[in-house]
Order: sequence, then structure tokens, then C-alpha cells
Amino acid sequence: MDSVAAMSLDDANWTAYEAGARAAIDAALSDAELDAARVAWLGRKSELVQALRGVRDRESGMLLNGVRGRLETAVAERETALQQLLWEAAADSGVDVTIPGLPVERGRLHLLTQIRREIEDVFLGMGYEVWDGNEVATVWENFDALTSDPGHPSRSINDTFYIDSDTVLRTHTSPDQIRAMLARTPPLYMVSPGRCYRRDTPDATHSPIFLQVECLAVDRGITLADLQGTVLQFFRALFGEDREVRMRTSFFPFTEPSVEFDVTCFICSGRGCATCKRSGWIEMGGAGWVDPDVFRNVDLDPDEWQGFAFGFGIERIAMLRHGLPDLRAFWENDLRVLGQF
Amino acid sequence: MKVPVSWLREYVDFSWRLEELARRLVFTSTEVDRIVRRGVPDTGDNLKHFVVGRVLEAGKHPNADKLQLTKVDVGEAEPRSIVCGAWNFGAGATVAVVVPGGVMPGGEFTIEKRKLRGEVSDGMILSERELELGQDHGGIMLLSDELEPGTPLADVVPVGDDILELETLNNRPDLTSIYGIAREVAVLTGGELRPMPGTEPERVADEPLDIRIEDLERCPRYIGRLFGDVQVGDSPAWLKARIVGAGMRPISNVVDITNYVMLALGSPLHAFDYERLAEGRIVVRRATQGEALETLDGTARELDPEDLVIADGERPIAIGGVMGGANTEVGESTTSVLLEAANFEPLTVLRSGERHHMRTESQTRWEKGVDPELAGAAATYASQLLAELAGGRWSGEAEVRADVHAPANIAFRPAYTEAVLGLEVAEAEQRERLEQLGFDVSADWQVTVPTWRARDVRREIDVVEEVARFRLEDVPLTLPRRQAMFGRLKHEQRLRRGIEDVLVGAGFYEAYTYSLQPSDPDPSAIELPVPLSSQQRLLRTTLAVGLLSAARHNVDSGNERIRLFEVAHVYLPQQGGVPREPWRLGGILQGDFFAAKGAVEAVFSALQVEPRFERARPIEQATVGATVQSGWVAQYGPLGLDGEWSAFELELDELFMLVPERVLYRDVVSYPPLRLDLAFVVDEGVPAGELAAAIREAAGEELQAVRFLSDYRGDQIPDGKKSIAFAVAFQSAQRTLSDEDGARLRNVVVEALGSRFDASLRA
Repeated sequence: MDSVAAMSLDDANWTAYEAGARAAIDAALSDAELDAARVAWLGRKSELVQALRGVRDRESGMLLNGVRGRLETAVAERETALQQLLWEAAADSGVDVTIPGLPVERGRLHLLTQIRREIEDVFLGMGYEVWDGNEVATVWENFDALTSDPGHPSRSINDTFYIDSDTVLRTHTSPDQIRAMLARTPPLYMVSPGRCYRRDTPDATHSPIFLQVECLAVDRGITLADLQGTVLQFFRALFGEDREVRMRTSFFPFTEPSVEFDVTCFICSGRGCATCKRSGWIEMGGAGWVDPDVFRNVDLDPDEWQGFAFGFGIERIAMLRHGLPDLRAFWENDLRVLGQF
Repeated sequence: MKVPVSWLREYVDFSWRLEELARRLVFTSTEVDRIVRRGVPDTGDNLKHFVVGRVLEAGKHPNADKLQLTKVDVGEAEPRSIVCGAWNFGAGATVAVVVPGGVMPGGEFTIEKRKLRGEVSDGMILSERELELGQDHGGIMLLSDELEPGTPLADVVPVGDDILELETLNNRPDLTSIYGIAREVAVLTGGELRPMPGTEPERVADEPLDIRIEDLERCPRYIGRLFGDVQVGDSPAWLKARIVGAGMRPISNVVDITNYVMLALGSPLHAFDYERLAEGRIVVRRATQGEALETLDGTARELDPEDLVIADGERPIAIGGVMGGANTEVGESTTSVLLEAANFEPLTVLRSGERHHMRTESQTRWEKGVDPELAGAAATYASQLLAELAGGRWSGEAEVRADVHAPANIAFRPAYTEAVLGLEVAEAEQRERLEQLGFDVSADWQVTVPTWRARDVRREIDVVEEVARFRLEDVPLTLPRRQAMFGRLKHEQRLRRGIEDVLVGAGFYEAYTYSLQPSDPDPSAIELPVPLSSQQRLLRTTLAVGLLSAARHNVDSGNERIRLFEVAHVYLPQQGGVPREPWRLGGILQGDFFAAKGAVEAVFSALQVEPRFERARPIEQATVGATVQSGWVAQYGPLGLDGEWSAFELELDELFMLVPERVLYRDVVSYPPLRLDLAFVVDEGVPAGELAAAIREAAGEELQAVRFLSDYRGDQIPDGKKSIAFAVAFQSAQRTLSDEDGARLRNVVVEALGSRFDASLRA
């Protein structure tokens, strides 16, 4: 029909048009049917839209726009009704949503890697770099430069794996202190995780291969208070914001003064339990103020530079936090164990 | 170190509760493992049940041949009837009795009144062993007859004691003695430290004694003292109680005295049977090749020229600082004793102990470095006790010693302590602390170190620690005031994490396998000269060996769908110096070559590196294998495991060199791609990878992707040939490619492959 003809339709015709359109919309049983009805009665080529284009007077415009508005509402309502119908149809067909989804295969990072990354991230956040150190060390790096006494029992072939008289499998991550200080100009803030080796017969709490983390800060004016504050931040990040730390006197060749640090038990919050042997405190590792002779050994002036260092075992943290009774499990790589974490 | 608290109190007065003392010692001095009770528990009124008794009557039990029936006066109105299994006493004996209600040592067993074979036993007569005073189970303990029945036993016999169990740090030889710990406790609690025990007994003669030291470096001091008229026998109960409380075993009065003085003062002693010394001489020297000695533990030992021995005129009689010899052992028949109070260098004792696999109480002290000045004090105290407890008459002495080192004198700045601690510590406090510890502090802060700390305190910083350790509890919590920040992962560290995550997403579990392996494909792999076991003897040059055993372990555990990877070091020997330790990624999985290759491709894809595989046999067990940049992938031949197994290994730092610094945007959105499927018939020997590379090269920059579709042999394909199909996509960033462009590009590709590989397009 042409526009002139459309214009000639009177009110009654438009009432019929609206009724016809409404019937078609309400009869639609799918998105496609509804869309077809919308195109036929409300589309660009529909009589209604064609007629609207030819409208010149206000009265006709109001009439036709009224029809269009009501039909658009009808389409929207039918759309909602159809969604409800589809939902009900699906529910009736008995889809069991508790059946597992299509499997997406995923593996796991080893628990020790998860904890190592967590430790690294805490230190990265405190502005430390992560150092990768070689596991084979010279006797100088592992002992001499750290001012370890030539008679210290840790040097004995009963305790240390020697490759030859000048070379060992590092017994701790502390040689990375030496390497980092030789490689960098202070200020230096670094953390070094890695494998270490001692001649311990394997049992539930000993392994000839184990993972340690070394932390070293070298700057001007570093104090034991800085060490204690840093240790506190670290253990709060790892074990919860309400942890406290303490330092006790100890002895390591390469720090003076040397301390051991404890953290309040995160199982019992210091009240005393089996994990902390009723003391409320858990021993976490060794630390201290870098011995001035260590600085001299790497040609740094101890009057200008001061530092602190601390070290601890990753396995111990994993065992304490996750309740593993035997550290040999870390090296057995049983999927049933790896898959738990 | 086990410290009987009654012994500690003999040297220092302190009013603190034991628990508080232990808590504070942990901060200032050394770790306290625990406080334990030796002997009779001191809970409630338990000690009241232990009393002195006098045996009024004793005779055979009417119904038991091996038991005695006694009446014992324990200071009550009526004597008690007690059945006893020992026969080393009779009527009139003074004994130790526990009456019903008394809890025995260990805390588990309470004495009750009961009938034994029809006779009432209203208590128990005690032996030394029951009171944990010694091992002697020969009979009950006999007490002095001067004691009144009913006297509390605790007043006359050390029935029980609290024991502090302390760790000993390597730098604190002074804390291997009760007196040394008392000194520490005095500083900590402010209690008074009594003078060191020991007064010289009367010297009755001046017999000559020949002592020679051939190696003054290893033995800087040797005091020998002679004692005659020695009566070897049992030690008194108090001495035994202390020896037991300190964790040692009573042997005889002479031996116990040497041990007691060692425990009290920290300088080990030894007693020889003087009459058994050939020529009555002492020579301190190195052992000679072929010499042997049976030590007191009954073991015959071949001596090494590095061993320092104490010898007489003919033969070794002790390994210096480690253990004496059986040939001069003090026994019941000994009447004259040579007491050795010496000093040995730590390293000599350490090495001898290692060499002979020995670990003795004296050794652990020498190894930490004993103050040579203590030898004199130890000789004095032991002489006093030998006179008092073994009837010994001091009849001669000789001493040899190296030059005395002047005590260290250190210039000290109190401000240094504050700079180290980050805490203000008043100068007066610092001075007082040092003086309490035995340091001499001059007005201008020149600090003289006491001899017992000379090894450990040599520098100003060591003096700082002496002050600092008493203030550790007060140190504030601060963070370094940083001027520079650089907290970030290095490029390769981020990439390592990235590929770990890719593999986890691809279904791989991360494994940790040992760096030391029983075997390695590289014959030059570094072998440990002294491995812990044959299972851990070689420093690996590949991750494959460890991963394969991890896979096996999982198969044995019944696990399925096994996919493991590891990111770790390998150790590649280099000429001279330490090995190179590159990071490797290794993987193993249940599946064929292409399953492993897919994983490798995922890693490459994540790193934006195009992998290039070439057929190769990277490992000996491979049935299918290839190299790829920085590594290899292979399918294993039979492993004795179900199914097919494949593995891969990549050297990460090498691979990371290939990672593009940045990826540049290409417009793949504005104009649509033109897709063609092309199949080529080629000789069997032509690898698909080379065809794909040639397509890429020929089509130039308009080529967007080449994807392998299929590899076909059979109908319509001549023998010796195969058909390889690719889906190829071309795209331009400047315009929509037309059908003419499509035909042109297709011709370019077809011609290039035709001329290079004699490939023909399959209709």
C-alpha cells in the first residue's frame, strides 16, 4: 500500500491493526517468531511505520505513535514471557545441574613453589630483588668469606658434601650474600631462595637436600631494630596480621650479634599447643647484624655500610602451615599429595 | 648441658623462679630446652614421705626365702614393719625409707601399705638406684649411723633436683660448665657470684715428675700432679647425685672427681694409674705410624700421625682430649694417681674425634676452645676433692706451658652498641654489664677481655654483642629508611613463573626431584667423592632421570594420567672452577611423542617463540625424537611401564633469549582474511614442517597463518608419496584481498613447493 492509502486509514482501522499485531505477538512461541511478528507489524516496511512517515498533523501522529508505543511494550512483555517459558521447559526436561561440568585438566604447582613464590612476593613488595644463586659453591663463598672458623664442625666432611677440597654443595643460602655483595654496589636488598645440601640421613625432619631462603639488607645505618621490624612484616604477611616476633641470642659465624627469631604460634595464637611445644612461640630461623669482617671480605667498608641477614627453611613453613608430618613427601612427588595443595 | 639447680645455687644466689630464669636465659645466653626433675618429685608434701630409718629387727620372711622382714624406726611412736628384698644390711643399720603415700622418682608410682606373702609391708627401704643416685642395685643404701630416725631424707641425701637442660652455642665454651652458667645467671639476675671453688690441699712431698710437650701448638698447657695413698671406691651420694643429674654415669670416686670438676669448671681432666706409666713419664706428642691404643671404651684403635697422644716412656696412653687408654686405667687396685689438667687445641681434638668416630664429654668442650687458665683452677679443685674423698696425698707436680698471650685489649665506643641495636643504652649500663661479665673497662673505654672469653671476643663488635644480648627484648621494630627501591622480578624470573603456570594450566603437576642421582647419561657428570648413598652420587646434567623415577613412583602408587614437570638447575662440568648451573624445564607424561610436543608448543607459544623441530635422537631410550631450539622432546621406548611415555627438556635461559622484546600490533581486524585449504602430494621423506616453512617464506607478509590439517596416504596417492594438507590464511592490513589476489598467492605457493620439494597440488 502506498503512503496516501495508509493515511486514509481511519481510527477504526488502526484499532484493528493493533489487535492483529497484538495477536501475532502473543502467538509467538520463539525468539524467531516474535522477531518475525515485530518486523511485520512494527518493522520499517510495516503499514504502521509507513503511515507514520506520511503523517503531517499532530492528531494522526499521536494516534499512530500511541499504537507503536503499545505494540513495542507488547513485544518486550512477550520477550520476558518467552524467557520464562523456556526456563520452565528446561526445568521440566530435568537438567541436573549438580552433574560435574566438562573436565578442564589442570595441574598444580608444588607446595614448596607456592610458598617460595609467596615469600618472594612479600619481599618484592618490600622492595627486595630475588637472587638466583648457584648451588655449587667454593669453600671461600660457603665458609671462609662468611668468617666461619676453620675448625667449625659444619665444615667437616661428615656434615658437608665436598666435590673437591675447594668446592662444596652449598650448606646454606648464605654464600649468596657474598655473591650478591660482590656483584652489586649497595644499597642492596635481596632475598635468595634455593636448594641447600647437608649430609643428614633422611628422616621425617631431615633431608640431605632442602630449601632455604636467605635475606640480606645492606645500606647505611641498618640496625637490629630494622631486622626485627622486617622479620615482623614478613611473618605477618605469611602467618597473619596478629603475629608477634622476638629475637634471642645465638651464634652464627657471619653475623654479630647473632639471634634466632621466633614467631607467636599461628595455631594457638601463643596460648600453647603441640605445634609450638606449649611455648606459644615457633622457632623460625637464624639472623643477625652482618659481621664487619664479612663486609671486609667483599671489599665493602663496614664504617660506611651496615646490614642484616636472616635465613629460614621453606619446608618447615610448609610443614607447620599445612600439617605435613614428614618432609620426605616433598620429594616423592605423589600426585595424591601434590594435588592437595 | 644439664645443670642441676642445687649445684648452680652453690655458685650463685638468685631469687628468681626457675621458669622465669629459663625464660630470660633464652634471650641473653642460650636456649633452654626444658626443666626436668631428677629423683623424688618435689610436688605437694611428697618429700615428707622420705625419711631416715633405723632397722630394729631384721630376719627372714616366714613365707619367702629371698625376702627379709624388718621393723624400722622412722621416728614415729611405733616402728613400721617393712618387707625388703635386699640382704646387705641387718638390725642396727641406718637406711632411707619411703612411707606409704610417697611418690617415687618418675612420678608414676606411689608407695602403698600392702601385704607381701602374708606379711604387712608399711613402706619401702630404698636403694641408690631407686632414688636415681646411681646404677648400683647391689642392695639398699646405707646411711651414717649418726643420723636420727625420722630426719627428713632430703636433709642428708640429694633425693631430687631440678635440672635445667641448656643448649651450648659453639662460641661459648664458658657455658659448658656450671660455674660459667652461674656467672651468666649472676649478671642476669643481679645475684652474687661466689668465688670459683677449690682450695689447694696440703702437699706432702716433692717427687720429681717428667713431663714433656713436643707440640705446644696442639697442647699449650699440661699440668701433672701425683697423688699417693689413693683409695679407689664409691663416690658419696651427693657427688653421684650431681654426676647423674648432669647426665653422666658415676664410675669410681677418682673418675667421678675428674668428671665433677670438668662439669663444675669446664676444663676436662684425666686420671692415670701412675704405677702403670712406663718410666713414670708423660710425653705429649703426635702418634707415630703403626701405633695403636685400646681406649677406655674397650675399642682398639689404629692411631694416625695427625692424632695428638699422651704417651709414657714407651707407648700412647691416651688420645689427647678425647679418651684415655685402658693400659693406664684407674681401677680398684690403683693407689697412686697422675692427674692431668691440660689444654688442647680445638681442631686437633675435633679431627681425632672424627677420625675415630668418637664423641665424649671432654671432646665437646675442647672443640669449643677451653680457656687454658682453667687448667690451674681445675687441678686445684680436683686435688682438694682427691684429698677429701679418696684419701689422696699430693706428692708431686710438674707443669709445661706455652707463652701466655696477653689478654686482648679493645677500644670500645658505647655509641656503637646503640648504632647496632637501634636502641639507646646508657653508658653506665654498658660499663656495668661488661664488668659483671668479667671484662675490665678503663675510664676511656679500653676493654680487657677475660681469659674465658678470649676466643670469641676479639673485636669491638664482639664487645657490642656482650652488651646487646641483655637488651634484645627491648629492641624496637623498625624498617630500614630506604633511599632506593628496586623490588621486581628479573625478566627471566617472570618468564619462569609464566611457563610454570602454562604447564599447570595444561594439566601438569610440578615435581621436585633430587639434584643427586644414581645415574646420568653424561659420563662426565660430577661424582661426589663421598656420597651419602649410591642413590645420590652424581650431580645431574639432565632432569630426565629424576622425573622418570618420579613417574615410576606415581605408577607404583596407582596414580593415573601422570604429567609431571620440574624447573630446576642441572650441573654441567666446566674446565676449571665450579660447574655451570643453567635452569632447565623438564617434563614427563603418559602419552606419545605428539602429546609431549604439544606441551612444548604450548610453552613456546606462551613465550611468543616459533618452535622448529628437527628429527633427532636426543636421548638413548628414544623411539621418536626431535630437537627444538634449546632442547628436545622424545617418546620413550619400553620402560616397563604401561602405555606410552614421553618427555621433554628445555634450557630456559637459552630459550628466553629467543623471546621477542615486544610484540608489535598487526591489523587483523580492518579487512577480512582469505582462507584456502591446500593439499600437496610429496615424497614420503618430505617433513610437513619444512613445507609449512616454505609456504610462509613464499607467501610473504600477506600470509597470516599456516595450520597443518592432515597427513594422508592411500587411495589416489601413489606409493612412496603422501598428501599433506594445510589451512592457509592470507590477510592484508591495507585492503580486502580479492579472488585474484587469492589465485596469485596460491600460485606463488604452489610454484615454490613444486620447485623445492617436487610437490604437486592435489586436485
